[in-house]
Amino acid sequence: MIIEDYISSGIIESYVLGLADAQEIAELEQFRSIYPEIQAAIDSFEASLETVALSNAIAPAADTKDKLFLALELQDEFINKTNTIEPDATDVKEEAKVVSMPLKPIPAKSAKMFQYVAAASIILFVLSAALNVYFFSKYKSATKQIVALLNQKNALYTDNQTIQAKYLELNSSLQLMSDTNIIKVAMKGIPGKEGDLATVFWDNKTKDVYLLPNKLPKAPEGKQYQLWALVNGKPIDAGVLEDCNGVCKLKNTQKADVFAITLEKKGGSPTPDLSQLYVLGKVSS
Amino acid sequence: MRLNLIYQYSLEAVKKYSETELVQLLKQRDQSAYSYLYDNYSGALLSVIYNIVSEVELANDVLQEVFIKIWRQIESYDDAKGRLFTWMLNISRNASIDTVRSKGYQNSQQNQELTDAKQEAAGSIQLSVDQIGLRKVVHQLREEYKVLVELAYFQGYTQDEIAKMLDIPLGTVKTRLRSALIQLRTIIKE
Repeated sequence: MIIEDYISSGIIESYVLGLADAQEIAELEQFRSIYPEIQAAIDSFEASLETVALSNAIAPAADTKDKLFLALELQDEFINKTNTIEPDATDVKEEAKVVSMPLKPIPAKSAKMFQYVAAASIILFVLSAALNVYFFSKYKSATKQIVALLNQKNALYTDNQTIQAKYLELNSSLQLMSDTNIIKVAMKGIPGKEGDLATVFWDNKTKDVYLLPNKLPKAPEGKQYQLWALVNGKPIDAGVLEDCNGVCKLKNTQKADVFAITLEKKGGSPTPDLSQLYVLGKVSS
Repeated sequence: MRLNLIYQYSLEAVKKYSETELVQLLKQRDQSAYSYLYDNYSGALLSVIYNIVSEVELANDVLQEVFIKIWRQIESYDDAKGRLFTWMLNISRNASIDTVRSKGYQNSQQNQELTDAKQEAAGSIQLSVDQIGLRKVVHQLREEYKVLVELAYFQGYTQDEIAKMLDIPLGTVKTRLRSALIQLRTIIKE
C-alpha cells in the first residue's frame, strides 16, 4: 500500500467527519498506529476543522449557559461572576432606630412659618389631586388601548391559525397531486352540465381514492354526491362526498375504467341514479 | 460579523488550559474547567448545530443538550481516537440530525414556512445558513459534490440511502463523496 495514496483518498476526512463505515474505521484505526504519516494527516485535518469552526463561532443565547448549569445542577458561581450586593445588616438597624422627640410648645416666632408650610402643603395637595385625576384618566385610556390591541392581536392570531390550517391542507393536496403514483382523472360535466368539474386522484399502489370537487353545485338538503367506479360498465360504490375542505378521501377502489359522480339521497345508494349523473371521466391507462 | 470578532477576541483573553489539562480536569468533574469549555467552544459548536438545525432558538436547545452529553459522557472520550473538539463536533452533529428527524421538528417546520415567508416580506435580515461554518465551505464545492455532502453530512443519510434517493450506483456515491471531502480539505486548509 502506498501511504500517500491512502492519505489522499479522502478516507481520513470521512473518518474524522463520522462518514466512514465500520470496515473503513477498523482499517484506519489499525493503520494510524503503524504509520505516523497517517496519524499526522488525521491530526492536521482535525486541527483545521477546529480552526474553521472556531473562526465561525456564533455567540449562543445569553441564557443558554444558565439553563445548562441549572439542568446539570452545577453551582452557579461559574456562570457569571457578578455578585449581588447584600444589604448591610448594620445599616438597616440604624435606620430602624426610633428617635423619640421631646414635646415642646411651638414658639410664637415659628407660628408664622407654620402657616406658610401649611399653605404650601395645601397647594401641593390640590396639585397632587389634580395630577391624580389627570393620570387616572390617562391610565383609563391606556387600558382601553391595551384591550383594543389585545383584541386585535387575538383576531390576528385566529386569522393566522386559519391560514396555517388552510396552508397545510393545500400543501397536502399539492403533495398528492405531484405524487408520481397518482393517476389523475378529470371528470367533466355531462352535456347540459358542461360547467361542472371534479377530479379523482387515484393512488396506483394503495388504490386509495381522493376527490377534489373543483366545480360542483352545492348538494341540496338531504342529498349527497356519490362517486362510482365503473368496471366493464358496472358501477361500484366508491363512497359519498362528505363536507370536507379541499381534497376528500373516499373509498379504496381496486379497479375502475371510468369514474363518475351522481347526486343521491343522503348516505348514498347501492346503485346509482343515472338520471342524476353530473360528471364523468375515463381513467387513462 | 463584527460581533463574532469581539466574541472571538474575548475568548482569547481568558485562554488558560491545554487540551490535555482540560480533558483531565473534565474527567475529574472540575466545574470551572467545564465553564471554560463552554465559554471557548459553545460558539463553534453552535455554528455546527445551526448548520443543521436552522432555527436559532432550537439550535440553542440542542447546544444545551450537547453540553449535557459532554458532561455526562466525558469518561467515554478517548484522546487516542482524536481531538476533544472532533469528539464534541460529532456529538453536536448527531444530536442535530436527531432533532431534525424528530416528528415535532418536522411539524414545526411546516408551520415555520408561513412565518418565514412573512418575515422575508417584512424585510427582516436573517443570517443564511449557507454563510456560516462548515456549510460556507461546502457551499464552495462543485454542485454534484455539494448534494452528496449535504445529504451525507448535514442530513445524515447513509451512502446506501443516498444511492437509492439519487438513483446513482453506490460505487459512484462512494468515490464522489471521497472526492468531495478531498476538495473540502483543500478549501479548509487555504
